[in-house]
Amino acid sequence: MSSLQITNLVHHFSANDMVLDNINLEVPEGSIYGFLGPNGAGKTTTLKLILGLLKKQQGTITLFGKPLEKNHIDILKRVGSLIESPSLYGHLTAHENLNLLQKVYQCPKTNIQEVLDLVGLAHTGKKKAGQFSLGMKQRLSIAIALLHDPSLLILDEPTNGLDPNGMIEIRELLLKLNKEKGITIIISSHLLAEIERLVTHIGIINKGKLMFEGTLGELREKQQQLLSVILETDDNEKATRIIADNDLTPCMEEGRIVLPAISKDTVAKINRQLVANGLEVYEIKAVRNDLEAIFMDFIKN
Amino acid sequence: MNISFIHSFQSEWLKTKRSLALWIVIIGGFFTPAIVTVARIIQYRTLPSIYAADDFWKLLWQNSWESMALFLLPLGAILTTSLITQIEYRNNTWKQLHTLPLNLTTIFFSKLFLVLVIMLGFFVLFNIGIYLSALIPYWVIGGVPYPKAPIPFQYFLEQDLKYFVDCLPIVAFQYLLSLKYRHFLVPVGTGFILWVGALASLSWKYGYIIPYTYCMFTYLQGGVVNKAVMPTINIHLLACVYFVGITLVSYLLYMTKKERF
Repeated sequence: MSSLQITNLVHHFSANDMVLDNINLEVPEGSIYGFLGPNGAGKTTTLKLILGLLKKQQGTITLFGKPLEKNHIDILKRVGSLIESPSLYGHLTAHENLNLLQKVYQCPKTNIQEVLDLVGLAHTGKKKAGQFSLGMKQRLSIAIALLHDPSLLILDEPTNGLDPNGMIEIRELLLKLNKEKGITIIISSHLLAEIERLVTHIGIINKGKLMFEGTLGELREKQQQLLSVILETDDNEKATRIIADNDLTPCMEEGRIVLPAISKDTVAKINRQLVANGLEVYEIKAVRNDLEAIFMDFIKN
Repeated sequence: MNISFIHSFQSEWLKTKRSLALWIVIIGGFFTPAIVTVARIIQYRTLPSIYAADDFWKLLWQNSWESMALFLLPLGAILTTSLITQIEYRNNTWKQLHTLPLNLTTIFFSKLFLVLVIMLGFFVLFNIGIYLSALIPYWVIGGVPYPKAPIPFQYFLEQDLKYFVDCLPIVAFQYLLSLKYRHFLVPVGTGFILWVGALASLSWKYGYIIPYTYCMFTYLQGGVVNKAVMPTINIHLLACVYFVGITLVSYLLYMTKKERF
């Protein structure tokens, strides 16, 4: 079952400014869904539409099997969110910030202490949220999002501005929440490396279009497909002609020959042919494109 | 009134803790009575005759309301409404508020209700302040009798009600501006200009058109010598009409907002 399903979502800020172009995405229940894309790709707009912060123009948004418009209040009772920068009352303490939201959610008061412990802010006492560091503010925002035991957590770039240690802390916290409480998490980011070790599913958006959607495994399959071979000889032009005779399409990059993915046998065969034709083979190596390269490839294309 | 409105109101109330708006209400409510008290203690020789007068309470009331009706109440309403409403813009919390399981009508009216409750608190503190300004000189200065005249509770209540109704259009208009504009200076600046405009238009025969004049007119109608042209229509009723009309416009603007952050 899906926690979130989006069909044919289109959004314009003005007649000539299409921000989302027919977005379709599906977030399976219990998954950690990485929503990736460069700045300005449409990630935040999509998340704002899911939360009702923007008026939907075209398409359907279904959460927990129910359409968003008709079940707005019921759905928001089951969703926790952090959109862009932290949303905190700076003149109140962490406990007071949570207390005023507890009044609305009517969840048990004990949840306040639980989430403060969970994000490591139980010691902040009378310190006002406005005096917190950015990392503490982000953690308090996550505590707010978790206060009412949501089934779905929507986090828009939650590690923005955090140091590497803070990023690791947030990542571990999210993994723990997903594993122990079964919370479905949608996390947006513009860096694949940042969420690669966290997510089970990935959606890649660029210029308002969804370029890829699938599991991390499916993305890794693409990575395997994109394995390439690099060759360097004393006469690359002659080598290119010999290789082309084998029905392959070599290309030149930075003075080296780049071949698409080929089997080990073919590599050995080409090597034999090059040597037999009197060429000196300096280097043959297989290059595995990392996920970041694939992500960049999606963005560039 | 449904249960989510009560929960939303409780949540809104908690946001005012340590806020500037609350301090304005507390200081504003006691400011004039404190000045009256100090003035009376300085002029302590005249107090025995003042305290013995039959119209002691009405005179004290009139003295206290002078600065309140002309300055502190309109400015207090402008600042309190703007500060409370702007809490969300200042803290970047509109987006959080709008992702809570509350419908927009509940959010709109619980915030407005909070402003009205705080304004009511302003009146309560001011009334307590007036009473204390009568008692303190009696306590601290020997020979000053307790006022002979009975406290005219009904008169005070009627006057309070009139002034409260008179400040409602100010609350409604400031609420509209504060919801609409992100920058704090827009509602406060506009409110200040309208207050100055109201002061200047008291002597204009159509001055009652400006909804910020009603507190001033109510005070001046109390027989104070002045150059104001008193409106012949019921300004309290007009204040109610303005309040309902502006609140409706404000509600429509809020409900039809395309972006909620």
